[in-house]
Amino acid sequence: MLQIVDINGDLERETKKLEQNFCINDHVDLLIEVLQRLDGRSLAAAACVCRQWCSIVRNDSLWEHLCFGNVSPPPSIGIRSVVLALGGYRRLYMVCVRPVASQLKRRRIDGGESEVVRRVWNRHEVELSLSLFCVEYYERLLGGGGVVGGESRATSLKFLCKAVNVSI
Amino acid sequence: MKRDYPQQNYTFFNGASSISAAAGSGSGSSGAGFSDLRSEVTGKSKMWDEEQDAGVDELLAVLGYKVKSSDMADVAQKIEHLEGVLGNDDGLSQLASDSVHYNPSDLSSWLESMICELNPTVQPLDDSFVNGVTPTGTTAVTSLAVDSSSGFVDDLQAIPGNAIYPPTKKQKPSSPSSGASSSYQPNPIVLVDSQENGIRLVHTLMACAEAVQQDDLKVAETLVKQAGILAVSQAGAMRKVATYFAEALARRIYRLCHKTPQDSPAFQDLLQMHFYETCPYLKFAHFTANQAILEAFAGKKRVHVIDFSMKQGMQWPALMQALALRPGGPPTFRLTGIGPPSGDNTDHLQEVGWKLAQLADTIHVEFEYRGFLAESLADLEPAMLDLREGEVVAVNSVFELHQLLARPGAVEKVLSAVKEMKPEILTVVEQEANHNGPVFLERFTESLHYYSTLFDSLESSGNGGGGVDGGGIAAASNQDKIMSEVYLGKQICNVVACEGPDRVERHQTLTQWKTRFESSGFEAVHLGSNAYKQASMLLALFAGGDGYRVEENNGCLMLGWHTRPLITTSAWKLR
Repeated sequence: MLQIVDINGDLERETKKLEQNFCINDHVDLLIEVLQRLDGRSLAAAACVCRQWCSIVRNDSLWEHLCFGNVSPPPSIGIRSVVLALGGYRRLYMVCVRPVASQLKRRRIDGGESEVVRRVWNRHEVELSLSLFCVEYYERLLGGGGVVGGESRATSLKFLCKAVNVSI
Repeated sequence: MKRDYPQQNYTFFNGASSISAAAGSGSGSSGAGFSDLRSEVTGKSKMWDEEQDAGVDELLAVLGYKVKSSDMADVAQKIEHLEGVLGNDDGLSQLASDSVHYNPSDLSSWLESMICELNPTVQPLDDSFVNGVTPTGTTAVTSLAVDSSSGFVDDLQAIPGNAIYPPTKKQKPSSPSSGASSSYQPNPIVLVDSQENGIRLVHTLMACAEAVQQDDLKVAETLVKQAGILAVSQAGAMRKVATYFAEALARRIYRLCHKTPQDSPAFQDLLQMHFYETCPYLKFAHFTANQAILEAFAGKKRVHVIDFSMKQGMQWPALMQALALRPGGPPTFRLTGIGPPSGDNTDHLQEVGWKLAQLADTIHVEFEYRGFLAESLADLEPAMLDLREGEVVAVNSVFELHQLLARPGAVEKVLSAVKEMKPEILTVVEQEANHNGPVFLERFTESLHYYSTLFDSLESSGNGGGGVDGGGIAAASNQDKIMSEVYLGKQICNVVACEGPDRVERHQTLTQWKTRFESSGFEAVHLGSNAYKQASMLLALFAGGDGYRVEENNGCLMLGWHTRPLITTSAWKLR
């Protein structure tokens, strides 16, 4: 009897040792795999967990996956350099992709269709988002001492955003 | 006691319900559209005629209430009156629950007692209001509004014709609502039924325009003052449109049509930027034109765009980005921008060029820019433009061509200059309206409809659209909206107040432009389905996007608000 209990105790201690030795932070590739599957809000929350997670989440490739991972057909290679030049995927997501997706999703819900969390984008939506992103970049250029003057924040995408004032 | 009656009215009282609903919405009012006003009035009058016929009302008899059809008008007014009184004061609902029950067969006297209880200052309605009163009725109404100057009212009565006081047979259906509204005054300051005023406002504006047309300036002056006062009683889009039109008419009457010093191109640009941000019209214009240009440039290595409407260059970043990402890589992109000189000696065209160059550098597109200052497009010579061999040219004009119609021969000169440039494509965006007819009154009517629709759409974009998801997307800030309205107001002023070479807002319809282009040697290019899809998607993003409609018309795309097309993008090439 005592022996059996001991074996169980041994087993428990073994499992506990294994658990204690496994830390997700040591396996960054696994962590990235997991994070790739999150939506924008969760990613942002993940960035607040610890310094390591923060630096991983700030890596643009995660956001690239979030923006265009579900595009069919897959976006062309040149897009990356353009997006990076205009401010990066994280900014693209924040400024264009998220509002566009939520606006379009809202319209579809009104039409009675069910909501899909990670929708598949089509080519037109991608093009539209990129165009709007480019316009926003240009407006920021203009705003920094252009003829329009006054506001330093790009305003042409105001129609996409809610009224909360978030400084980027 | 529950307010059962007004709700039952909704289904059973065919005639009365539309009036009570209208009165309720009249006082609450967030911009009943201009066209709605008219249809509701005519709808009301039809339904009233039917109700008067039968003996005892059958529908109510089913419920156990014996009400004679001839009394229906009376009862309807009282119900509406009651609704108005109850609706105006929240404390009254408690009072209503304490009241004594009356015999429900006697609907009419029950209502009267309710009203007397709730609002003891009000006299019970008498038949004189029902049987089509009314110059006195409406005068009472007017003098409420215009306390100090009773001189106006005398002037108004002196005006012959049906403008202010439409003939009695039409008064009958509308008088119950005006009667009801003028007899109860829950707050002493409150005016009158604003819907009734809305109709009167339109009549006044039209009458004023007619007077101006006939050069009857004294009458016009009176009417325009009256219109200004009535405009204040409205709310929302109607109020703004009416104010701008009244102001424009006043300017025309007093011949104040010179350009104000504020009208520098820099200020115009600023206003247009705000208009760009508030509503989708300019964005639609840019995106559809860009799509056409992109398709025309497919496979070409060196491209040159000549932009007649440079302003801040908002159209070109999107095109440059699309060119950068096209399969096969970007072409060499050359842009020539043409604009009016700004008054303050700064070369704003050059500054815009610098910013575009910066953008082009960022996205790795080879870019060359040249700016031309020209007071009018007709001053342009193709030789100045340095057109090179092997380059594909596109000419773009957004809201510029109509201004050329102010000077005879200008538009023909520009079109022949364009032909000399041998463009692959000419993209034109213009307002879809005929504001260039020879008769002033027709222009006035047309523009009244057009700008009312436009302001309606602005209004909805400001309010976050058709109630999508409650907290929705708050689109434009107030300042943007106001600036957009000023932008449109200047156009209104120009259409109505100016004449001759000063009147530059000479909009024409697609059909008219089509005739002009075809006789000059151009033929239409169909804007493809890509442009249509992109435009629809763009509109879906705007709050209030339900109201905007994209239509395809012979290969041209029209953006409109509900059923009314407002701007048109078309593309042309040399035959």
